Amino acid sequence: MITRTSRRALLAGAAGAAAFALTLSACGGSSSGGSASGGSSQTSGVTITVALASDPPPKAALDEFTKETGIKVNWVNIDWDSLQTKISAAATAKTYFADATDVDWSRVGQLGKLGWFYPMETMVDTKTMASDMPQLTSFTKDGHVVGIPYDASFMVTTVNEKMFQKAGVTEMPKTIDDYTAALNKVKSAGVVKYPLNIPFAAAEGLSTYWYETTGAFGGTVLDGAGKPQFTTPDSAGYKAATWMVDAIKNGLVPPGNINVTDSQGSQTLMAKGQVASIFSDYSGGIGTLYNIKSASSVVDQVKYIPTPGVTGTAANLGNPDGIGIPKQAKYPQAAAKFIEWFTSAKKQEDFAGLNGQDKIFQGYALPSHLSVLQKMSESGTLPEGKSLVPMLQGSKPVFPEGAPAWYPQFSNAVYTNLHAAATGSMTVDAAIKTIADTANRLASGS
Amino acid sequence: MSLTRSATPGPGLTAEARPTAPVRRRGRRFDPLPYLLVAPVAIFIVGLALIPAVFTVVQSFFKVNPLDPPTRFTGLGNFRALLADDAVIGSLGNTAFYVVVGVTLSTVLGIAMAVLLQRPFRGRSLVIAVLILPWALPGVVEGILWTGIFDPNAGLINSIVTQVGQIFGTGAGGTTLLLGQNRLLTISLIELVQVWQITPLSVLLILAALQLIPGELYEAAEIDGCTRWGAFRRITLPLARPGIAVCMVQAVIATLNVFDQPYVLNGAAATGSSITMQTYFISFQDLDFGQGYALSLMITVVTLIISLVVVRTIYRRVEL
Repeated sequence: MITRTSRRALLAGAAGAAAFALTLSACGGSSSGGSASGGSSQTSGVTITVALASDPPPKAALDEFTKETGIKVNWVNIDWDSLQTKISAAATAKTYFADATDVDWSRVGQLGKLGWFYPMETMVDTKTMASDMPQLTSFTKDGHVVGIPYDASFMVTTVNEKMFQKAGVTEMPKTIDDYTAALNKVKSAGVVKYPLNIPFAAAEGLSTYWYETTGAFGGTVLDGAGKPQFTTPDSAGYKAATWMVDAIKNGLVPPGNINVTDSQGSQTLMAKGQVASIFSDYSGGIGTLYNIKSASSVVDQVKYIPTPGVTGTAANLGNPDGIGIPKQAKYPQAAAKFIEWFTSAKKQEDFAGLNGQDKIFQGYALPSHLSVLQKMSESGTLPEGKSLVPMLQGSKPVFPEGAPAWYPQFSNAVYTNLHAAATGSMTVDAAIKTIADTANRLASGS
Repeated sequence: MSLTRSATPGPGLTAEARPTAPVRRRGRRFDPLPYLLVAPVAIFIVGLALIPAVFTVVQSFFKVNPLDPPTRFTGLGNFRALLADDAVIGSLGNTAFYVVVGVTLSTVLGIAMAVLLQRPFRGRSLVIAVLILPWALPGVVEGILWTGIFDPNAGLINSIVTQVGQIFGTGAGGTTLLLGQNRLLTISLIELVQVWQITPLSVLLILAALQLIPGELYEAAEIDGCTRWGAFRRITLPLARPGIAVCMVQAVIATLNVFDQPYVLNGAAATGSSITMQTYFISFQDLDFGQGYALSLMITVVTLIISLVVVRTIYRRVEL
């Protein structure tokens, strides 16, 4: 059977496996990686790699781009989390992995400080874009544009109007108190056992929900210097956290939601008629989910309402997706041409279905150009467009001064501690204190 | 009877007749073929495992954070910071639970199932093929599959757990017990999913060891009046120890490095996070590669120590 030599082999195998564990983070280099690799300025006859967490646009559209420019596009669809890891690993190791890739709003501060991406104002005409792209400010850090938004994701409040009306709520709530009262009415009328979805799983969706709710309570999470603005019980962030945790404790939110993520909540609760409202939902969800018969049992029942605030309508906070050019890109100029084309108003009209069904980009949320959104609303191709357009116009960045470089650590503290407060393993006060301590520590650079 | 290849000459063989003589003659003339054949794998291992591993060991003593340049020597600073980090300590506790429960359960179940599969029966091949499916599935796919089963609002197992919670009136905040709420229950359920995944390989490894035990030993034991339980204790278990040791080492490696199951099932919550999840967060979320290297090194050392203990304790040389 196994001899003494085999015992050594067994230990060697364990050592080998352990060595692979060691390589987990060994792909990182030792410098900031902020310098460009000196990619080719060639813009014709080249193939660029575009890596995004999305299916590709229609093949005909990409072929058309190749015909116009001579640039071939190799589209790589990678899930969001893996994509962020690849961006960090490749930039730190100063290796190429894509010519154009995702720039999430939440990483703008980090990427801006690290200088891992080309400043887009040097590659495309961002000044002209700015007037028609309200969310371009979310991608600007220290005067540099890190990425160009290719969709207009922002947080909105959705309600199942039919359920609200069934409970006797005929006028949509305009303040957070009215909203809470309406949810209690829906519950007490027995229309649905748990009327509100809050995704309490320890994931990014919980953090963004809290930011939006904090905005509704009339405040912001961090100031320009990164100092927490939510430490006292009368602050908006503290009230928002209390309101959210009270909602699950008081039976407005399904108890099982402590392990529900934002997308799960939309797909399995709101779209299936299990809840009546989401305070911080995806913009565009009505057209892409709730009104899709194959995925929803609440077709034509869900509406956007102006975000209920303390005394009236609150602003919607933006969380858009952008696209930028890593410094290690092989063909940065060709990638810039692609981004210009991909984020142009004309192409977004195609992707949104304004110019025929065959040009639709499946899974495309909302165009980042305000003018395209307006055209969609006027043509009737955007469900609830009349509500969405002013919301996008008035949308604000989560962090007016730009997301801090340490945002990922801050967000981790937010969602793990709010999750813990929802499970009852810690108080809201303790959760807020831990989040604030984390923010203070990170802001001080220690 | 010996199933091992012996290097010693058999009785009656003289030193001149040893089969090693031709090998010595070949050794004088350099034959590049074996080296050429091994070279691609050797280059692969050295380039993708050993060099990064050495690099990691060295860098674990440096502050490596692109957000806080320049890279500088910190001695044991990274290790001290990790051991003062509540999230790391919490995940160490969770991981210790995963290792103890996962290795124990997968080994016990592996032995039990391998013994059941030891004797031929109709459909045995099909049973083995079905058995191996959980092991063949990627961890993320399994996590998603079990997410449905544990679904807090509609999952079957979660409904049962909820009922149990209601019966006993447990659960924080007046709600019922659920995945993610009670730490012990959460890590137990996460480990249950991992045991479901790693046990098939344990079964196959132990089954392979059992297949090498000659049937004559069982026949002789039966003639001597030994019961089935006695045969299991005195023949099966001792002779299967090398296979059990291999199965336990692979279970130690799998459970110490568990990532997919807790991450997919329970997110980043402290109630279930593993030490490799912390390595990921520290390295790729916080971009503190120095601490990431240090934590990876600690995981490696712990893996080696536990593996060594398992091999020294469980493994016995067997010659049949």
